[in-house]
Amino acid sequence: MLRLTELHKRYGDVLALDGCSFDVARGQLLGFLGPNGAGKTTAMRSVFSLVVPDSGSVTWDGAPIEPAIRLRFGYMPEQRGLYPRMKIKDQLTYFGRLHGLETADAASSAMQWLTHLGLEDRADSRLEELSHGNQQRVQLAAALVHEPDLLVLDEPFSGLDPLGVEAMAELLQERADAGTAVLFSSHQLDLVEDLCEDVIVINRGSIALSGPVAELRGASPHRYLDVDTVDGGTDWIGVIDGAEIVAREPHRIRLRVAADVDLRSVLDRAVNAGQIRQFSFGPPSLSEVFRAAVGQ
Amino acid sequence: MSPMRHVTLVAIRDFRERITSRAFQVSTGLTLLLVAAFILLPSILGGDDGQTWTVGTVGSPPPQLKPAIELAAADPDTVVEISEFDDVAQIEQALRDREIDAGYTQGAIYSIGQDSPDELLALLIAVGGTLELADRAASLGLSQSEVDELLRQNLEVIELSDEPADSGAGDEGSTGNRTFAFFGVIFLFISIVTYGQWILIGVIEEKSSRVVEVVLGAVRPHHLLAGKVLGIGVLGLGQLIVVGLVALALIQQSSTFTLPSAAATAAIAVVVWFLLGFAFYATAYAATGSLVSRQEEAQNAAFPLTMVLMAGYFIASFSFTGDNPALRIASLVPATAPMTMPLRMAAGDAALWEIVLSFSLMVVVTWLLIRFAGRVYAGGLLRSAGRIKIRDAWRSAEG
Repeated sequence: MLRLTELHKRYGDVLALDGCSFDVARGQLLGFLGPNGAGKTTAMRSVFSLVVPDSGSVTWDGAPIEPAIRLRFGYMPEQRGLYPRMKIKDQLTYFGRLHGLETADAASSAMQWLTHLGLEDRADSRLEELSHGNQQRVQLAAALVHEPDLLVLDEPFSGLDPLGVEAMAELLQERADAGTAVLFSSHQLDLVEDLCEDVIVINRGSIALSGPVAELRGASPHRYLDVDTVDGGTDWIGVIDGAEIVAREPHRIRLRVAADVDLRSVLDRAVNAGQIRQFSFGPPSLSEVFRAAVGQ
Repeated sequence: MSPMRHVTLVAIRDFRERITSRAFQVSTGLTLLLVAAFILLPSILGGDDGQTWTVGTVGSPPPQLKPAIELAAADPDTVVEISEFDDVAQIEQALRDREIDAGYTQGAIYSIGQDSPDELLALLIAVGGTLELADRAASLGLSQSEVDELLRQNLEVIELSDEPADSGAGDEGSTGNRTFAFFGVIFLFISIVTYGQWILIGVIEEKSSRVVEVVLGAVRPHHLLAGKVLGIGVLGLGQLIVVGLVALALIQQSSTFTLPSAAATAAIAVVVWFLLGFAFYATAYAATGSLVSRQEEAQNAAFPLTMVLMAGYFIASFSFTGDNPALRIASLVPATAPMTMPLRMAAGDAALWEIVLSFSLMVVVTWLLIRFAGRVYAGGLLRSAGRIKIRDAWRSAEG
């Protein structure tokens, strides 16, 4: 298990990490959310000692991360980059060897990943000859070629087309199912909501929220109520304590209400007003929970 | 996994990337061509250099005339041709027609305007006069041995050099050794500059292509630095040795150059100082490369470093004629020693303590520089906001 404990890091006047703590377990697919500049990249880099925190600790299975342990990690930085003029198979073999594989194992793993990603025909192409999308795939393969125990990906979905997003999501799920601890950051909250059971939200260098997506949404003091009547207008709604109208159309209304609202009385009024086409009541989406947590 | 394995893997990758690059192959080919041209051209062109003097005579001249003038001429390749005429009038006509350079008969030498070479006329007077003297001596009834005794060359020619005889630097082989070492220094300078640039460019490429962050996920920065310097250093040394061997082979074939007595010492000095100089400058270039983000900024950032390198080279060039205080100091200062010490060693000017001191200083300072540059490199690599100050890079890296 990866554990970050009370990390602090300051760059001049900028406080990048301010007591950041969280865990990633084996087999867990953890979404790492936060506005730009909240400290996501700094926290991820600290796992690889690319950033040396001013205080706090990063451990794997309870022990400080020695260089030999770190070789069992895979990293895909936000700023993508590989050697432009190197053949992609040689490139993946090289990264496999840097992570401790023997040449033959690294080469066969490289070919396996190229095949998995549909690039087996391009094994002898230089990276710069590939399309942008294919370069992204090779980048991912470079993080996976040594079958890491921990996979850290900074914005893996950025710049991918919808098919690429789907393939990436499947692959991350597959790695987590295979027992890898997977930590990834993203701005695509709907995607994270669908993909991850667990998320953490960082804001101003410390963790503002963490837990299973369903619990975080359920813990909100608010619910959303959507009612659509065929011909009842929207005046029937009257006054509900603590409710706020989010959207209003001639026959349709969306309200933000308290979680403990008397749903029965609202339903009765709607039934009296006219034929109901839709009546739904539920917790806020992850992106609403996120906005509330980061104060936007 | 041992750190050496990372260093080796990085070194092999850099070595392979450079050696398979078109730029490297072309530059090696051009260097070999230049060296070959430098060594072979003088002896190829040399055949045309000798001058030909044509001397008109009446009837056949004394047999010693031609070889004596050819031997005495300043240019050893001089050829004398003899044109035989029936009488003096024909010689005069041939001179006016510029068919011959001078005329010689017993008792007279003919020249035309300013066109007869002064050296030829002087030699004709001397050689012709001696031949005539021998003739007359014979006609006076002297025996051959008496004639030889009469004509024996009595004057010893003493040639002075500009250097005082007791300087110790004026011994026979020193100029040749110095020339040889000087070419070594030129080659060493070009190699260090060239391979220093490779390092600089390589570091910036890794940084600007962002691959460095992926690599640093597995490899410690100072191992990456060491691997890069090692890989490109071995490549540079390989090129140095190949070009050196080709040069030696050509020199042995060529009549123009001969290997000086201290060639082996000079060659070893150049190789050892290449290794030290390369380690020093490559490390410094790598740290410099980590501080900039784009190729365009590279030359500006590396300017101070290139200046120091040039300074050593210029001190060596201006000291070609011999030892001087500037050269002596420069050969002890680590940054300039690689360019200047081989020169003094080859010429035999450096005392043993100077060589040991210079070598030790260079090793210690290079080691310190690797420690220092390693940290600057680690701190600079992941920062991509334009030019980074050394102090900021130092601070943001691990202590």
